[in-house]
Amino acid sequence: MPAEALHTSHILFGLDPLWVAISILLCVYAAIMMEKFNRAVLSLLGAGLMILSGVLTQERAVEGVDFNTIGLLTGMMVIVAISQKTGMFQYVAIRAAKMAKGKPWGILVMLSVVTAVFSAFLDNVTTVLLIAPVTLLITDALGVKPYPFLFTQILASNIGGTATLIGDPPNIMIGSQAHLSFYDFLVNLAPIIPVIFLVTLGMIWLMFGRTMTATDEARELVMSFNEREAIKDVPLLKKSLLVLALVIGGFTAAHSLHLEPATIALFGAALLLLLQTWSGDLHVRDKAFEGIMAEVEWTTIFFFVGLFIVVTGVEHVGAIGWLAEQTLILTGGDFNATAAAILWISAIASAVIDNIPFVATMIPLIENMAPTFGGDQAIVPLWWALALGACLGGNGSLIGASANLIVAGFAQRAGHPIAFMQFLKHAFILMLISIAIAHVYLYLRYLMP
Amino acid sequence: MLVSSIMQKPVVIQADANVKYALDKMRESGRRMLPVVDADGRVVGLFSTLSVIGHLVPDYIVSGDLDDIPYAPDFGLLRKHFDAVKDLPVSQLMVEPPFFIKPEESLLSAAAALVTHAMFDCVLVNDSDHRLVGIITSSDVLEQLRSMPKDASHAG
Repeated sequence: MPAEALHTSHILFGLDPLWVAISILLCVYAAIMMEKFNRAVLSLLGAGLMILSGVLTQERAVEGVDFNTIGLLTGMMVIVAISQKTGMFQYVAIRAAKMAKGKPWGILVMLSVVTAVFSAFLDNVTTVLLIAPVTLLITDALGVKPYPFLFTQILASNIGGTATLIGDPPNIMIGSQAHLSFYDFLVNLAPIIPVIFLVTLGMIWLMFGRTMTATDEARELVMSFNEREAIKDVPLLKKSLLVLALVIGGFTAAHSLHLEPATIALFGAALLLLLQTWSGDLHVRDKAFEGIMAEVEWTTIFFFVGLFIVVTGVEHVGAIGWLAEQTLILTGGDFNATAAAILWISAIASAVIDNIPFVATMIPLIENMAPTFGGDQAIVPLWWALALGACLGGNGSLIGASANLIVAGFAQRAGHPIAFMQFLKHAFILMLISIAIAHVYLYLRYLMP
Repeated sequence: MLVSSIMQKPVVIQADANVKYALDKMRESGRRMLPVVDADGRVVGLFSTLSVIGHLVPDYIVSGDLDDIPYAPDFGLLRKHFDAVKDLPVSQLMVEPPFFIKPEESLLSAAAALVTHAMFDCVLVNDSDHRLVGIITSSDVLEQLRSMPKDASHAG
């Protein structure tokens, strides 16, 4: 937006706002990558500097915060925090493992299917926090090495998360800012996900599956797990299932009702909070409410708030518009080449850096390309390229997504550390294959002349 | 009433002693909690029966979102882990840093410290030279209250 770039009158010390904004962005991103300080603290510091240095006014900064993303994340976190207290997710995981009759490869497949499906509807981090411990318990009982199981789950969580609007934070951001609905994601992204998932599972079978065995006693041990005992609170389970169904139904209908997913998620969260604390005395209800509020990942929420403001600052000074022009010059203004570049660059970048700041920067960049390609409607395939690249790219390395690191943490503390290079060796090629499949899909569905 | 008059003499364990020896010493002395001291006699941590259990239960059960696992059978995991743990030095299992109060603090202060640092049901008492002089548990506080005459409330 070059016109806005002219409003530079309040900039500190008469410095060029373009370079001030870019310096703040680069410093914040570099500091996030160093992982010495909390990422929410860094992004909020960067946001504060954008305002204090005069790049942004306070009003413009607040306008830059995408409250749909914030509301959707917060609402889903509340709903999941309450639902998981019922034990329903553990029930499903154990039930799935038993359906495989205690056979190691079958358990691996079933647990990764559960991971992929949960990830499509829950946050990936939440999913692996639930599934990885159950997996370690089962592999301990089974007497097998947990690495192939955890490896597959990491991949499944990122692949499953790609399928829906609410599956992965990049999709939430893209959906909100590009005005794409839950239904749009379901129709455009979900169809290719099972293909990518099955091909990935096939490759993992070649890598690990062929040699997996367990003794009959160990298999019987797994079959003796009693999943019914996992359900802790049947009334709350019913309430949670009701609200989850309402919310997912609401997401699907949201677009035709002209409602944002954030409205649905926050309403669902409020409804479930009300139902959860329907009876009992006020003091107990307040305690329950505060307990759930404490489980919302405020670090993530404030990280997003700061990040949105930092990116708005850089966009405001015209840097992102310039970057978009340069990208278009490089791709020769060719739509197919641009889509391919977005897909592959997003994938490689997301394997190396946090995909959330990357996507936050890419969104205004792609928006800036709309006039060249004939408007908002014409660039929709570019959003799918970004979503596929950024979400699937997280599988490229152990640091590619937060869920990967959480699983690695569990594995380490359970005495089966996942080495960075070992994971890279197995996962990077699988990630490239998944991006290649995504590329073919995008070409056949949207790009073919 | 002051801490110095109700505290017990501490039974300590050397940091390099192994877990098996520490558990024997606990059984002999009837304590569930031993301050761990280094070669110079300085307190470096706390060792309790709970520290041992904490190392036997797999981390993934307690640190993830499982909370408890009513559906899972015992498949010899605790016993297997116990065999691995019993020869380790207590320094690897102890919890640090311990919480200290002074002998001249009041009974109320000792009780408050017990509640705030509830994990091991004990607080350590050291003097102004940072030497360990005693240990107080919740039973010590309650015994004192039971034997205390009604009008002794002014005593400290």
